Amino acid sequence: MTEAAAPAPAGVEAPLPLSRREFLYYLWGVSMAVALAGGTGAAIWFALPRFKEGEFGGVVTIDVGALPPVDSPPASFADGRFWLVNIGPQTATDPRQPTDYAVQPGIKALYMVCVHLGCLYKWVETQDRFECPCHGSKYLKSDARIDGPARRNLDVFMIEAVDAGGNVIARTEPVLGNTQGSSVPITPEVVVLRVDTGRKIVGGANTKPGGGI
Amino acid sequence: MKGNIVLGTLAMLGLIGAVALVAVRELDRMETAQRAYDARAVESGALEFENRCRPCHGPQGGGSPLAPALNSADLFDGSRLQAAGYTGTVEDYVRGVIAAGRPIPSAGTNYPQRMPTWGEEYGGPLRDDQVDALVLFIMNWKDRALAAGGGAPAIAPDQAVGTDVAQTLPEGDPENGKILAEGSLGCAACHLLSNAGPAWTADGANPGIATRAGERLAETGYAGQAETPDQYLLESVVNPNIYLVDGFQAGIMPANFATRLTHQDAADLIAYMLTFE
Amino acid sequence: MAIFRIYLPFLDDVKAKGLKTAVRDKYSDVVTRVTTGMNPTDVRMLLRDDPVGRPNPRLKPHSESFWFHMKPTYYHQMMDGFYPTFRLGWLSTYFFVFEIITGIALMIFYTPSPLSAYDNMRNILSNVPFGDLLRDLHKLGAEAMVAVVVLHMLRTYITGSYKKPRQFTWLTGVVLLGVTLILSFSGYLLPWDQLSLWAVTIGASMVEAAPPEIVGRTLNLLVRGAPEFGANGLLRFYLLHVVALPAIGVIALGVHYYKVILHGHSLPPEAEAIGEDTAKRVPMEHRVYFMPKILTRELFYVTGLTGLMILLATFIYNAPPLEAHADPLITPLHITSPWYFLWLQGMLKIGDKVLWGLIIPTGLVGMILLLPYFEVGPSRRYGHRRVGLSAAALSVAALAILSFMGSPWYLVTSSPDQEAVAALVPQTHPGPLRESEWGELDFGTYQAGLWDTAPTPALRELLHIFDEELAKADAPERRDVQGFMVIEDWQTDLKKVTLRVVWTNPDGSPHEFSQSVYLHRDSEYAGG
Repeated sequence: MTEAAAPAPAGVEAPLPLSRREFLYYLWGVSMAVALAGGTGAAIWFALPRFKEGEFGGVVTIDVGALPPVDSPPASFADGRFWLVNIGPQTATDPRQPTDYAVQPGIKALYMVCVHLGCLYKWVETQDRFECPCHGSKYLKSDARIDGPARRNLDVFMIEAVDAGGNVIARTEPVLGNTQGSSVPITPEVVVLRVDTGRKIVGGANTKPGGGI
Repeated sequence: MKGNIVLGTLAMLGLIGAVALVAVRELDRMETAQRAYDARAVESGALEFENRCRPCHGPQGGGSPLAPALNSADLFDGSRLQAAGYTGTVEDYVRGVIAAGRPIPSAGTNYPQRMPTWGEEYGGPLRDDQVDALVLFIMNWKDRALAAGGGAPAIAPDQAVGTDVAQTLPEGDPENGKILAEGSLGCAACHLLSNAGPAWTADGANPGIATRAGERLAETGYAGQAETPDQYLLESVVNPNIYLVDGFQAGIMPANFATRLTHQDAADLIAYMLTFE
Repeated sequence: MAIFRIYLPFLDDVKAKGLKTAVRDKYSDVVTRVTTGMNPTDVRMLLRDDPVGRPNPRLKPHSESFWFHMKPTYYHQMMDGFYPTFRLGWLSTYFFVFEIITGIALMIFYTPSPLSAYDNMRNILSNVPFGDLLRDLHKLGAEAMVAVVVLHMLRTYITGSYKKPRQFTWLTGVVLLGVTLILSFSGYLLPWDQLSLWAVTIGASMVEAAPPEIVGRTLNLLVRGAPEFGANGLLRFYLLHVVALPAIGVIALGVHYYKVILHGHSLPPEAEAIGEDTAKRVPMEHRVYFMPKILTRELFYVTGLTGLMILLATFIYNAPPLEAHADPLITPLHITSPWYFLWLQGMLKIGDKVLWGLIIPTGLVGMILLLPYFEVGPSRRYGHRRVGLSAAALSVAALAILSFMGSPWYLVTSSPDQEAVAALVPQTHPGPLRESEWGELDFGTYQAGLWDTAPTPALRELLHIFDEELAKADAPERRDVQGFMVIEDWQTDLKKVTLRVVWTNPDGSPHEFSQSVYLHRDSEYAGG
């Protein structure tokens, strides 16, 4: 501050002209910054894992015979990290189901990991719901959160229902403003389901106690 | 400053003393810890056995028509290894069979299915430490198995029930039949606990096995020789492939009960099955 | 003239002065070289604490030797006592070095792979001399270091020592706090048991919340090397733990320490005029020289603390026992993140992961980091900083409350049958059943309600706990809640204990939950 307060004749401090040498230094500096930024990008790509077909992150194919019966407890597919639920009339009209989310009959593939903090929730038969052992989030078979600290419904994987000729009959469609997956109805011509564990549809926001937006 | 010097010296003496004490106890501690970790492995092996092996090898490894006993002397005295033509140790044999499964049966056995592969490296679900835990658990039967002698006594041919469905059986005791079905015969594994075979219990519109036995006899496709529900059940046990219920294949139900059951055992078992209305 | 010649002047000295004198002179010479300037007499005078002459030979090492040039030649008299620093900064450094030494020892027996990590841990604990002691020391040191570093920050805040000119010292200190926390956290994963896998999974899933979704997902993949922890995640955390974070720590510690020496230790707030900093202008009569007093005391701390740590690890402290092998498909009931992250978990129970798990903590960290650049009140006196000190007190209280909320006692409910069973056989530590006397678990079937008729003290104790837990489950929607404990002989030295909870639902249907555990005579859970 003392320098600024010192008496200096007005207008004497002429700006230094930018010399060629100085400019070249700046250019060099910019090139280093760009190289560093590019290097950071390359480092991220270097460190990101890549997935092979068939492992978790790829497509899992399931025969229709392996599906759980309608309204039965969900079936666990640990390799693909998902539960398959077969939603029937009983599940769809569950009185605990928050009214903000419509439930259609059909199949859903629920990502096995709690949307709160990444623990694996469990199916609790006596309560007819999923419960997370870490912080007590509770979910219905329909994927709706009904209790606990989670703040959205369960994430689901994209399912394609395929017939004998390889044609896709139905698939999980995003509903509710792109943040909730629909159920896939099983018609007689469907032979296999293809669950794409690399394509996760994030569950709809659900924040109220007891469930609901 | 003098205080610092004195206290610092005391601290060093304490440190030397503590480390010396640890050093003196270290060999014992390591031995105890080693034993404790092996013991905990036996515990987790027991849990693993209950979840994955019990359905076929029976409760407490007693064996069933689906798979041999694991708590019997012939496994530990080497005779089973000989039958399989294996020259290593029992422990290695057990580990190898669990991890890699059995592609072919041992001579003289007739189990309906082969041992599947369990080890991760062979496509199974178990990590190495889980396989090791199972091995430790199974090897823990050794003392009792050898003390008990050569396993379950074989039945003399004239004592066995045979495949004649028209024979007259003695009076059956359903209580003993229940013990047999859930215990040494292992029927429960397929017919009560899972649906690998036709369920005995009533389920919704489907009545129990006792009622169904009567209905089957009357069906047009029935190919057996039984004339009463009792005879139908006996036939299903001792000659399972003569007539197959829809949805089940030949060869899954073991076909060796005719030589494994005494007349009394067969009567008890059928008496028990007849309680499932 | 020969190109290569060996010449020992010492031999000439022996010839000239005689052996005894030559040896004495040589000894004096060596001591002077090693101490960079103090001859044997100076050293003895130092040890005797004799008054020192001029020029002061004890100042020479400070200008000429590598290690002593880092230490100031004198402290202010007022900084000689326990107040105001409580030696917390020094202690942080001590624990950093302590962790490096014990950590390197443990590295010798550890391979960061899911195939071997757990086995390595078992080997360290059961087949390496002093392995258990070293693990206890490393873990105890880590927890002590977290506590000491946090207290150090709190002290710096309370005495206002972050104010001008020490703003940047504070900033590097906050970086060091972060390094300490992440070091401790990354080390948590390495034993690769259920406890470590899931505690770290909970902590690490915070980064996944970073908005927008693509950033969170990418960060998560970068940290774990896969969607979930596996071989890649373990290796990455190991490399963070042993290479990246210690390197950042050493650099930040270097800068931090340099700034401390540059500006001097800030005096107690009441000792200076407001707005003044006189730490570097110490009058002659207030100086306490490093040698011998400070040096002696620091040596005392090193010996005393090391002795204390080893005594604690030998007789009192035991690192948590190794749980079951990590299993990415089973989450244990009631798992929590490490205690120093419980506050974060508590916040996550209040609300949204993005807001409470990421935006608020990031905002808080940013605020703490830049605190000295916007909190610029000139006075360090306690009386002038009532708002700031109250805020600190409130923050500490809030942290304590949030930490409680982060624990399983707050708002984590599962079904009451599972809770009652977990009270006896918890999934995150051995618990009462596994720790009870094996020989007292007599075979038989026992009912929780009739606990006082059980044959042995251990059974009475266990059934009593069971009964109390079941009493909590009693509610209108659950009638006739009963608990049973069945103990069977299973194998040589192996018992099967089945815990069964039954009740009647309002519609009259029965409910049953049971869980079996197997207990071996030698499993020694009580021994740690």
